[in-house]
Amino acid sequence: MNLYVGKMLIVDLATTSVSTEPLRLDWTKDYRGAWGLALRYYCDAVKPEVDPLSSENVIVIMTGPLGGTLVPLASRLCLVSKSPHTGTIFESNIGGAFGPELKYAGYDGIIIKGRAAAPVFLKIADGCATLESAELLIGRGIFETEKLLEAEIGSPDAKCLAIGPAAENLITFSMIGSESYRQFGRGGTGALFGSKNLKGIVCRGTGAISVADMGGFLERVNHYKNNDLMTEDNLWAKTDGTPILVEVTNEMGIHPTKNYTRGFNGRKEKLNSEAIQAAKLGDRACFACPMACGKFTRVNSAEIEGPEYETLCLAGSNCEINDLEAVIRFNRLCDDLGLDTMSCGSTISLAMEMTETGRHDFNLHFGQVDEYLKVIYEIATLSTDRGRDLAMGAKKLAAKYGAEDLSMEVKGLEMPAYEPRGNYGMGIAYATSERGACHLRAFPIFTPDPFNIDALVTEVVNAQNANGIKWSMGFCDFWGTMNSETEADLLTIGLGEEVTAAELDRAGERIWNLSRLFNLRAGFTAADDTLPKKVMERPLEEGAAAGRVFSREDLAVAMDSYYRVRGWDEQGVPSQEKRIELGLDQLLKEDLS
Amino acid sequence: MKKQLFANPDNCTGCNRCTLVCAAIKEGVFQPDKGRLKINNFPLRGYSVPSICFQCPKANCLEACPTAALYRDSDGVVLVNQDLCTSCGACVSACTYGMVELDGNGTAFKCDLCGGDPACVKECPADALLFEPGDPELIRLRAAQMKCRTISGSPNDKRRAMAEIMMKKARA
Repeated sequence: MNLYVGKMLIVDLATTSVSTEPLRLDWTKDYRGAWGLALRYYCDAVKPEVDPLSSENVIVIMTGPLGGTLVPLASRLCLVSKSPHTGTIFESNIGGAFGPELKYAGYDGIIIKGRAAAPVFLKIADGCATLESAELLIGRGIFETEKLLEAEIGSPDAKCLAIGPAAENLITFSMIGSESYRQFGRGGTGALFGSKNLKGIVCRGTGAISVADMGGFLERVNHYKNNDLMTEDNLWAKTDGTPILVEVTNEMGIHPTKNYTRGFNGRKEKLNSEAIQAAKLGDRACFACPMACGKFTRVNSAEIEGPEYETLCLAGSNCEINDLEAVIRFNRLCDDLGLDTMSCGSTISLAMEMTETGRHDFNLHFGQVDEYLKVIYEIATLSTDRGRDLAMGAKKLAAKYGAEDLSMEVKGLEMPAYEPRGNYGMGIAYATSERGACHLRAFPIFTPDPFNIDALVTEVVNAQNANGIKWSMGFCDFWGTMNSETEADLLTIGLGEEVTAAELDRAGERIWNLSRLFNLRAGFTAADDTLPKKVMERPLEEGAAAGRVFSREDLAVAMDSYYRVRGWDEQGVPSQEKRIELGLDQLLKEDLS
Repeated sequence: MKKQLFANPDNCTGCNRCTLVCAAIKEGVFQPDKGRLKINNFPLRGYSVPSICFQCPKANCLEACPTAALYRDSDGVVLVNQDLCTSCGACVSACTYGMVELDGNGTAFKCDLCGGDPACVKECPADALLFEPGDPELIRLRAAQMKCRTISGSPNDKRRAMAEIMMKKARA
């Protein structure tokens, strides 16, 4: 078989049985791989009402068709399930090399069902998968767990997916780590593993991936790499990596500062790309990526690959921790204990504002490093009152103390580091993403007019559809000039069969609509397509967008327009015509009448 | 001066484009494990070390071969004549850098420098692999790497042993 391996690994933890089944080739045509294909498998495996942390929930992990080949930036691995943090369906993807390793070991993806009676890990070695006791790994951080899993399989070249204590404690913004500093970061992936008593997966694969015409394939890969990828639009990733966004967003006035009170950080030079370059020891790459956007840094004895932009802002500026060493230490603790730095940073900044405005005293203050670092361990281990409080995440923390006006989340997912009051497009993207406030579905920050709602609605819809297929191909966000023509060309030559851009465009729209149908069936309504109170009511301070809100009225206009452009009814439900057009009329068919 | 292959781990990002292109050209598939060079990644310390064949002037692999399946061409490159290989594995044990291995059929395979135009070097995006006469600094670096010999263990163990020495020095 070309590009795909042709086999899925099925793991039933309840019966500790492992089996394989052929890849559903009838689904690959409509969903391609990674996000889309995982979503299709997931919708076939569970009812939308499923409790995310119950044994009935299922986790689908899927590679993309180009993963493990020389196509650059195409080896990301997707995880689809229902999020314990938001209750929505969600997708999270990870870079590094676990995805390719899984394909070399003989599997396109893994479906994980049930719950193990005692802690286990999954060991995959070239077509042989077994479940082993993880009793001795319990309580250990991700860094140590990965090392021990490599020893278990007897190869330092093995790749791991592992959880730390935060996930064992079912914290709903815990994550799964790999190769120390890469994560399935958002939505509580870690708690999903934790709820299944699955401490990790270790994989070693030495097999091969075939393409229809190697000579032609290599020629096309070189062409796109040299003439499209390695060009001005994308080279920021090689030179600077994501920290370049610190200056960009500050200039736009959309750089969250002091728990999203301000859009500009007057001390940004402490955390910007120049600061990272000054601390940099080397560049780090995901598998087959010539960009190497990861910047490995060290300040005093603290070293890490990163911090990335979201962490620099949400755990830096937004907590007024304008201190790179402190942010590196924060990042490293989160990466090892297993917490999403974005949700964790945002929840801590909320607790800081709650403390300083007298809502509740967590002994956390803006700019105060010691307690900020101390509380991370308390969250991950649930060892103090404030640790247990913050472990709920921003939405529940605010609800407990009546501070809903201060928390910044959509559908329970803490907001990324782009202020919607200074760019309405980001607000529309946050309000409509299937997993809550997310910047990886649409990213309209470079739009000509950040307050033109009609134009932004169209831009957001187009980006969501394009990313639907881009993430399903396993591509990384940072190939910014990628399009469905290029994707179709690479698939055609790799598979040896014609794939058109129009098919892929349609697949992207299909994936978006299927996620929407799932969420509606899971109980979400148009009322959930909203933004935090703070965004709608409290004017932003400082910077280019000072004085702005994204008002309820403007958001209502935007959502009406969004549903119309999508072909959904006024309640945000995909119309019967749209469902038939996308071939979704037979899926989840009993959900909506 | 004659061109040689150099590996500069300080520049290596760990991307593995070199191993991918090597196996694609030599085997016709994407299979890093069959690359004629290897990348040792140390993600926690943010460091990667390429393992390359040095085409040793005094080549243990060549000397160990009982059937003269390994031989040196006029450019000094050590090559394998597959027709003469009896799969005895003596070359694999003899190489102290872990750079000769046996394929699925039991035949020895190793780096042949692509006939003087190595694909890995062209694919490397970070100048971690170089094919040139080499300045004094590169020649010193290569000499230091060649001093890291491991007598026993699997090829992977031997590669890893040298890589660990390089990594610990760089990340001290």
